[in-house]
Amino acid sequence: MTTTTPSPVYYARRFNEYMAELWRRRDFVWFLARGNIKARNASTVLGLAWWVLNPLLLGFVYFFIFGLIFPTQRDIAYLLSGIFVFHYSSQSMSGGANSIIGNSKLLVNIRFPRLILPIAFLLESTFGFLASLVVLYLIVIPFADVIPGPSILWLLVALPLQIVFNLGLAAATARLAVPFRDITNLIPYLTRIWLYMSPIIWPLSMLESVSETFQGLFRLNPMFPIIAVYRTALLGYPLAQADLVAMVAWCLAIGVIGVAMFIKFEGRMVRYL
Amino acid sequence: MSAPAIKVENVWVRFRPYVDRRPTLRRSLATFRHKETQLVEALKGVSFEVQKGEAFGVVGQNGAGKSTLLRVMARTLRPDEGRVVVRGRMSTLLQLGVGFNAQLSGSRNIYLGGLVAGLNKKQVDERYDEIVEYSELGDAIYRPMKTYSSGMFSRLAFAVAMHLDPEILLLDEVLAVGDEGFKEKSMATMHELLDRSGSIVFVSHAVRQLADFCDRAAWLDEGRVRAIGEAHGVVEEYREFVQRRRKELRAQGLA
Repeated sequence: MTTTTPSPVYYARRFNEYMAELWRRRDFVWFLARGNIKARNASTVLGLAWWVLNPLLLGFVYFFIFGLIFPTQRDIAYLLSGIFVFHYSSQSMSGGANSIIGNSKLLVNIRFPRLILPIAFLLESTFGFLASLVVLYLIVIPFADVIPGPSILWLLVALPLQIVFNLGLAAATARLAVPFRDITNLIPYLTRIWLYMSPIIWPLSMLESVSETFQGLFRLNPMFPIIAVYRTALLGYPLAQADLVAMVAWCLAIGVIGVAMFIKFEGRMVRYL
Repeated sequence: MSAPAIKVENVWVRFRPYVDRRPTLRRSLATFRHKETQLVEALKGVSFEVQKGEAFGVVGQNGAGKSTLLRVMARTLRPDEGRVVVRGRMSTLLQLGVGFNAQLSGSRNIYLGGLVAGLNKKQVDERYDEIVEYSELGDAIYRPMKTYSSGMFSRLAFAVAMHLDPEILLLDEVLAVGDEGFKEKSMATMHELLDRSGSIVFVSHAVRQLADFCDRAAWLDEGRVRAIGEAHGVVEEYREFVQRRRKELRAQGLA
């Protein structure tokens, strides 16, 4: 085994070699994610219960504010499905950046494809997301009269696509936030604006009251088609083909751009830690 | 002679201070505007080779570039100029227990430590029993590592690192860990590695120990190799230099 530095990208000369190396180290990704989950479970009193409590509390807070205090959205199924899907993507921004910044010792000392760290975070958060979907049904089946139908098979399309989207988002944020730590401060605010721009706390019918230009702007938000496809899967909403096409396009584009940005930067990463 | 295990060729590493200070957007904009960046050159054209079966030491004062050099050899830091060719499986002990999660048991950390270094789960499975036995931790292996004493911690870290079947080992300040008994064992393991024509690069301020252990050594001074050769000779030269410097400083202080 001979390796020479520098090479064009940090870890491997070609993209497919990089991906092969990632695949070779899949056990590491799995242990890293599981280790983080175990450590978290072990250090809290309620442990495993937080998998249910977290989404429950998240859903409760938003329903309390936007369903009861400022009743902009009383449809709890609509609200919670949106919140859980949104949260899964938005947390990959801070999580992606932290997975690099918080592991600086590891990065400085050991050579491995750096993308492993955001991927492990993504895996961890995917478990959380799946748990939140269980919570969603626990609430909406009794309270909103929603019964999951065969449309739930759309999850098999929506989830892999969103994973690609989130990976791109996590990788791009890490790429930008490692040299510019300021960005970690901005993330919570960007997330909040993104939330208000997404069809979660306001009903889709609200769009009809704004001009077509505005409507177009709102629809440019990648969360728009993503949440729409999820609502088809989870709640049986009719599927608009345009949403499906837009979701595929957004997820692939963000995934490819984010990962490419990350890999190109990888060789310089240690200099900023 | 067979090809060297590590070949460092004319390596330059420059840091821009604003980079070191964790650039903010503002500072970056400032440097962007002025375009003048003050460079700190951590390594200035360093070249040497480490042969197979050789223990190679690196000495030098604080800030001489030793850690930067180790990172370049570990290939976590890409040099600005020059290149590093490594032939063989490398294991690094730049810091003991990197990749460990103190919340988790020693047992799980054996897996984490092995996987982070590039093994797969099956390969760790095969080595697991040997690692536990080598570490002499007994049932403590099932306790979270945060309950370990520092000696227990480094014993496990060392046991994991040595069972990765390294052909090249990079050591920063750690040559032997644990109590006297374990130290002897860890030294014996190092010598076994060298006998199998593995290579060890050892960076340390414990220059006597370094001179005794290493075959050859390099003295790094302000980013340049000031002397290279038989370990005792290089270390002696370095020690004389340090003593001379100290005398000069003392004389200045008295004047």
